[in-house]
Amino acid sequence: MAGESAPEQPGGATAVSERPAESALTGWVTIVWDDPVNLMSYVTHVFSAYFGYPEEKATDLMLQVHNNGKAVVSNGSHEQMETDVDAMHGYGLWATLGRG
Amino acid sequence: MRDFKRSGPMIQMRLTDYEATLLESLVEQFTGLLEADEQEPEAGDSFARWQAELSGSDPLDHTDPVINRLFPDAYPQDPAASGEFRRLTQARQRSNRLGEAEAVLSALRDTDGGKRPVQVRVIELDSWLKTLSGVRLSLAVRLGISTPDDAEELDALPEDDPRAYVYRVYEWIAYLVENLLGLR
Repeated sequence: MAGESAPEQPGGATAVSERPAESALTGWVTIVWDDPVNLMSYVTHVFSAYFGYPEEKATDLMLQVHNNGKAVVSNGSHEQMETDVDAMHGYGLWATLGRG
Repeated sequence: MRDFKRSGPMIQMRLTDYEATLLESLVEQFTGLLEADEQEPEAGDSFARWQAELSGSDPLDHTDPVINRLFPDAYPQDPAASGEFRRLTQARQRSNRLGEAEAVLSALRDTDGGKRPVQVRVIELDSWLKTLSGVRLSLAVRLGISTPDDAEELDALPEDDPRAYVYRVYEWIAYLVENLLGLR
């Protein structure tokens, strides 16, 4: 999802919209992996509730996770990505950090 | 049990007394995994909890696959970095989880054993969703669900197989999650 356009919703947009620029310097990403347990509707809800992504983008990311086994859901500095991975774990999603 | 209704800031969820008691006990089992031995600081004492965590004592049983699923390696290729990540995040993660579960338990106890509908505060909806999903994750580990095929096999089990009952509970919680999500 690196290079994806900035989210259109105000919620969470401040933090998220800064990430693409930072990622060029720092190159960390949050990866969410597919699991057979979490419901598709729930995963979409998490992406939209936590990242503030519009419904369409949240659904698209969920489908990437479901169909490809994983998806990059955010990118930015190391610290930001640790925060995001921690939050995903809090929702019960299987998330890891990676280099973008 | 087919009753989910939202009015303003509240969702009413009608459960039978059996269902309310079952859910309460599942959530209690879930918190039991996250709570530690008697030496554990008071639940509300986050500073003591944080201190215990910093001192290197890890109260969680990481040989339990449920714990590993709830606290997965943040750096799959780097055990040391994953350990450090866990050291920094686990205490707060646990206290968040316990707080969320407490919101759920408190609403369930207010039903007086299922006599009244469960009142789910919409502002606490994420606590419900996280807790119910956490309970499902732990049931999935116990049921050995690691691929979609595993779930299909469980679905096809004969009724007298003990796992068939647990699987039905697992599916029932999915039903609760779907309905709550629909009213957010």
